[in-house]
Amino acid sequence: MTAVAPLFSDPYRPAFAEFVANRREPATIARLRQEAFDRFETLGWSTRQQEAWRLTDPGPLQAIAWQPPTDALVDAGTLPTLDGPAHRLVFVNGRCAPGLAWVGELPGRALIASLGQALTTHPERIEPVLDRVPGLEQHPFVALNTAFWEDGAFVRLPRETVIEEPIHLVFCTTGGDMRIHPRLLLALEEGAQATVVVEYRGAGRALNTPLAELALGAGAVLHYHSIQEEAPQAFHLGAIRVRQDRDSEANLHLVSLGGQLARTDLAVLLDGEGARCSLNGLTLGRDQQYGDYHVRVEHARPRGTSEQRFKSVLDGKAHSVFDGMIHVRTGAQKTDARQTSRNLLLSKQAQAHSNPRLEILADDVKCGHGSSTGFLDPDAEFYLRARGIPAAQARALLVHAFANDNLNQIRLTPLRERLARLLAARLALDIAEGE
Amino acid sequence: MLEIRNLHVTVEDREILKGIDLIIHPGETHAIMGPNGSGKSTLANVIAGREGYVVTEGEVRFDGKNLLEMDPETRACEGLFLAFQYPVEIPGVANLYFLKAAVNAVRKYRGEPPVDAMDFWDLVHERMELVKMDESMLKRSVNEGFSGGEKKRNEVFQMAVLQPRFAVMDETDSGLDIDALKVVADGVNALRNPERGFLVITHYQRLLDYIVPDYVHVLVNGKIARSGGKELALELEEQGYALYNEEPGRARRAAA
Repeated sequence: MTAVAPLFSDPYRPAFAEFVANRREPATIARLRQEAFDRFETLGWSTRQQEAWRLTDPGPLQAIAWQPPTDALVDAGTLPTLDGPAHRLVFVNGRCAPGLAWVGELPGRALIASLGQALTTHPERIEPVLDRVPGLEQHPFVALNTAFWEDGAFVRLPRETVIEEPIHLVFCTTGGDMRIHPRLLLALEEGAQATVVVEYRGAGRALNTPLAELALGAGAVLHYHSIQEEAPQAFHLGAIRVRQDRDSEANLHLVSLGGQLARTDLAVLLDGEGARCSLNGLTLGRDQQYGDYHVRVEHARPRGTSEQRFKSVLDGKAHSVFDGMIHVRTGAQKTDARQTSRNLLLSKQAQAHSNPRLEILADDVKCGHGSSTGFLDPDAEFYLRARGIPAAQARALLVHAFANDNLNQIRLTPLRERLARLLAARLALDIAEGE
Repeated sequence: MLEIRNLHVTVEDREILKGIDLIIHPGETHAIMGPNGSGKSTLANVIAGREGYVVTEGEVRFDGKNLLEMDPETRACEGLFLAFQYPVEIPGVANLYFLKAAVNAVRKYRGEPPVDAMDFWDLVHERMELVKMDESMLKRSVNEGFSGGEKKRNEVFQMAVLQPRFAVMDETDSGLDIDALKVVADGVNALRNPERGFLVITHYQRLLDYIVPDYVHVLVNGKIARSGGKELALELEEQGYALYNEEPGRARRAAA
């Protein structure tokens, strides 16, 4: 057989060999890595020829000689906080910084820990949950993550365990053309409840390919927030896989503010009757920023509900993509699935692509989707100005209202307020004035 | 306070106003009546500064200042108010927040500090009663999901809070039942004083039973065909606009 030249991954082969040579880990995990690396070589860097990457081309990224992560220091004072008690883990260039972590007392067998640490001390606990949430099998950066991940967070809540304080996971990168592959494993057993806030921060150019696997047992409730504020030069190619058992509830809030190219692929499998998920996404783009959300919600069982609400606000030559699939399998009767994508363009050079897709194989379902893209309503702007509000402030108010509608879905008040302030600051709007 | 001289306005290259002359002194309430398409709303929008209206000739002065050179927000800060015929719904912007931003914009223009929170609250509550507005409307988004009557009441409420020196009421009566009409008219009447001028634009005489004008002007085909006292409104009610050799809507149809 003629080998298909793995043209683009060549530099990674020696890097991978070196990486695995130094690791002591169970054979199953080593095998997972090898399979994933092989898959990455086969898939290559995504190209526009692949449907899923038709609009977003990370091809040019392969020309950069990405370096394996190294240790670095960050100023603890610059790290975001949640203004209240929280269990916190901080990762610098993908590696847990124990000095910056704070995990309070947890009930029973609950665990919030560094995944790298847990793999060393309790590999038998990691093996059964690693790479078990299906989805995104053809995603090259998911494969890259599975091949190269070193550390990340491991959150496991046993049955009926409810953690009130948010679990705050902060990932910082320090640039230097590093490639970072953090992994997040979260397993909520039956009836467990948690609130998680993941924040991505950084300085300089880096390639971040985080992968989160969220497994929800029957009746579990998860509030999950992912706030991407990478450096303007950064590339963020993340993925989130969710598997939900019956009557579980997943509320995801994704906010994308930073990076020159930021894409998150989200795959949700509603794998038990009556599972519910709510997916909110907000992209703020300016200059030449490129933001992309690819979402697939798979209704596998009856009576599931899903709601996707994605918005983008684009200035300058910014670009956004929303590709949202609702797939309803044959047996998933009484599914209720909705999706909206709304995009606000602040400049004539900005572009939003919206691609809603439905695949419905069951006959007794409610599915709906809507999509709109447009400029600010000139009538609304005139109305505000006719009351004395200067044009720039009027526009900022309208943009804030559009985006804040999405942030208002966040129930974690300090985070919601911080994001609203951040949004206002970006719009040079004094929101305190009109309280 | 408002002087309009030989005002000609085109919209999308069609001449809508063909030489309007109108002078309104402080304390006076003038009514402009006319059939559909006569140019009533165009006049209101030109005074407020909406885009898309091109003044080809003439001038509008407000207290001697050239109004046409000002941004819409500057006009508002100078004390001009337009009660919209179709108030815009603005989801996500709370009515109270909007109002406070407007009040503070005007104060900033005058070089005054932002309004004191307690003073503002008192003012808002006092003015709400004027138009019998429910407090829940303050927290709702501007005009979102408001009924026709609530929207018009909200316009008069905003006027009552902003206390302009001159207000243009653009078909404030349209879409109102008689009870709502009375509430709106009472609100306007309560604001009438020797310093404040009003220009009330309406198609129907009915509103003028409640807001009794000092002068009535009949606008037909972009020109003021006749001016007189309040009795002119009653005459129009009986005889219609046919007297002016114009069918209602002719100008609009001709334009289309």
